[in-house]
Amino acid sequence: MTTKIPVTVLTGFLGSGKTTLLNRILTENHGKRVAVIENEYGEIGVDNDLVIGAEEEIFEMNNGCICCTVRGDLIRILGNLMKRRDRFDYIIIETTGMADPGPVAQTFFMDDEIKNALYLDGIVTLVDAKHVVEHLDNSDEVKEQIAFADVILLNKTDLASSSELDVLEDRIHAMNAMARIFRTQDAYIAMNHILDLGGFDLDRALAVDPQFLEPEYPFEWSGCYQLEAGVYTLVLDSGPDPAMNIYLGALPDASTESAQTGIDSAVQAFSTDAMTVQSGSILYPDNKCYQLRLDAPPRLFPIEIKQSGIYALFTEHHPDEFSAFLKDVDDKRLHSINSREYKPDHEHDEEVTSVGITTPGELDLGRFQIWLRELLGTKGPDIFRMKGILNFREMPERYIFQGVHMLFDGRPDRPWGNEPRKNTLIFIGRNLDRDELNAGFNACLV
Amino acid sequence: MLGLDPLYFRKDALIAHWRLSLEEHIIDMAWSPDAEHLAAITAEGRVFLIEIQNGTAIDKQIGNHAGGGNSVSWNSDGTRLATSGQDGRVQVWDGLSGMQLYTIETEDSWIGKVAYHPQQPVLAFSAGRTLKCWRESEGIIYESSDHSSTVADIAWHPDGSAIAVAAYNGITLHTLTRQSSPRKFHWKGSSLLLAWSPDARYIATGEQDSTVHFWYVDSGMDAQMWGFDTKVLELSWHPSGQWLANGGGKSISIWDCSGNGPAGRTPQTLNCHFNKITQIAYQPFGHYLVSTDVDRFLLLWEPEKHDKLVGATSLSAPASCVRWVPQGNSLVIGQYDGVIASFTPNPIYSVSKK
Repeated sequence: MTTKIPVTVLTGFLGSGKTTLLNRILTENHGKRVAVIENEYGEIGVDNDLVIGAEEEIFEMNNGCICCTVRGDLIRILGNLMKRRDRFDYIIIETTGMADPGPVAQTFFMDDEIKNALYLDGIVTLVDAKHVVEHLDNSDEVKEQIAFADVILLNKTDLASSSELDVLEDRIHAMNAMARIFRTQDAYIAMNHILDLGGFDLDRALAVDPQFLEPEYPFEWSGCYQLEAGVYTLVLDSGPDPAMNIYLGALPDASTESAQTGIDSAVQAFSTDAMTVQSGSILYPDNKCYQLRLDAPPRLFPIEIKQSGIYALFTEHHPDEFSAFLKDVDDKRLHSINSREYKPDHEHDEEVTSVGITTPGELDLGRFQIWLRELLGTKGPDIFRMKGILNFREMPERYIFQGVHMLFDGRPDRPWGNEPRKNTLIFIGRNLDRDELNAGFNACLV
Repeated sequence: MLGLDPLYFRKDALIAHWRLSLEEHIIDMAWSPDAEHLAAITAEGRVFLIEIQNGTAIDKQIGNHAGGGNSVSWNSDGTRLATSGQDGRVQVWDGLSGMQLYTIETEDSWIGKVAYHPQQPVLAFSAGRTLKCWRESEGIIYESSDHSSTVADIAWHPDGSAIAVAAYNGITLHTLTRQSSPRKFHWKGSSLLLAWSPDARYIATGEQDSTVHFWYVDSGMDAQMWGFDTKVLELSWHPSGQWLANGGGKSISIWDCSGNGPAGRTPQTLNCHFNKITQIAYQPFGHYLVSTDVDRFLLLWEPEKHDKLVGATSLSAPASCVRWVPQGNSLVIGQYDGVIASFTPNPIYSVSKK
């Protein structure tokens, strides 16, 4: 059996730096002979004799299902390339900025000839760090290119400020929690970050930051303070927003249980209309959500505490972004007993999001199959990608799977061995219902 | 390992004759009408003229298509050979000497198929999404508008009165007279190859969506056959026009197209391949059918007999191209490894089983 040849798909809008990256890949000394399929209008400045032009040809199937849509041009060209497979050992497909990555990815699932000879190593999406924001809200192509990516390069970082980059990276991460994000200039990136990712490195893809798996909160930070009766002052500087919501509440003690109660109260308060206050207005620990106006200095908000005890302060943004702190009447800066950061709720309420599920417990194969079939049958068009490692009852191996829209591909992987058995999966898609996905999945547990 | 009953593994069912290697995947081959020359084109685009003399074959490279070859075709009297490739060119060669006579340049990078008219000196070829026809004395004499995708296949009506084009969204039937607009056989799917029945009653197509389509040419009605494992890239008509054999997986399906046609009928299936079939070819003027698979097996069948499998042999690589000589008494196999090998069916098995 001959080995399968890896294929990397490069996506990104015009001007995001695809050609620069392609030239880098072709000139860098990585020891691979690369065949390139480039879109009709691209131009490569490298003398490589295996550059083949392609024009997007979408083949829809008679059943009208978008999930069965493939790229006819790629089937033809890749099929032909495989007859010359001694000439190269890597294939790069560059798509146009307007291309939908779905049919490209589906081609690797749907066409047997392609599936047997090649594997999709990864989808690399280039993003113009300066200009992508203009398209993130209204361009389906940009959303899909981000949603489908295994690797995202925030390119042209020299044209954006570091705070702009932070905001952008957070937004992109909220859309696709599975992708690795790199900041690049002139598409300068180590080849091992974009090529030969090893098919789908599930462990890496699913090793997303733990915050991602938490629910989303309308605040980014909380801190507990031991406060005596008296007047304190919340001191702020200017920050990324001209206003910030905060909540101050009393807790019975500094225990974890109390902290959770505090979170619940804060979530509730944040969901009500905030009371707008200007600098100098006095704040109370009265379970209200205050919106602090921070347009101009001085940004000082006195806090009156009538009873000694433990108090929790919740802030919409991280205090560091506003250089914020609490001081007492003697101008002494107070430190919190403990503090916590939260995954922020998306400011933009993204249409495209990631839903991660991680849970111990054994899955019932039959129930899982029924659930997944039903899910993909009804939500398939909105689910762009999914990946997971599953723990099936009575199966000694980890079961790994991945999918694109309704197409699903799974197999037993290595044995669990000493590793704790658990289920980890991610869905990336449009208008995903986190609670429904969680409930549906949990119902498949034994 | 074979998965094949050793009883069937009668290697002498096919007698091997000459064998040569062009060292690259064979993309297409075609016999001259007198079977004295075989033209072959390779994955890297090299064009060979192979002369058969007293049972031996002498190969000569006559030219090249940069970027890879796609197709070869002989004209009806064997004086001309046409080739196409990914350099956007059609080249026309002298059928005897192999000298290059014409180069037809196009604006497309993909010239898929070349096909000479069955009687006249008219060459049809697909250039990107269009069909073009060319005559030595006049140049391009017909050019279609764009089809819905890059043309996948073209084939002349057996009497040469029209030419059918397979592409995404079905078949288009062109006549070279400009007055009539092409006839569409519309199907929402991607037709990958087409084959006219010898009596021209049907056009059969192999489809990306793992189906076979029969178009009833007169009425424009169609019948869709499904249930195949994979896309169908193998179609072959029995010379009588009664049977169509198709692949699309490990089985060969044979459809009875007599009378009212294949709709509603169950095909015969031939099930001795244990891996994907790569080629199927009925013998001209005969009853043999040859099939090959990715496990490198070559099977010889007589589908109309009770014991359908005559014998099997294994090749040095899977076959990419099977071409019976026009007279039908022998065939050549072109392979993934560049080997071209000639065989004849051993008559003793055919006679003994009558």
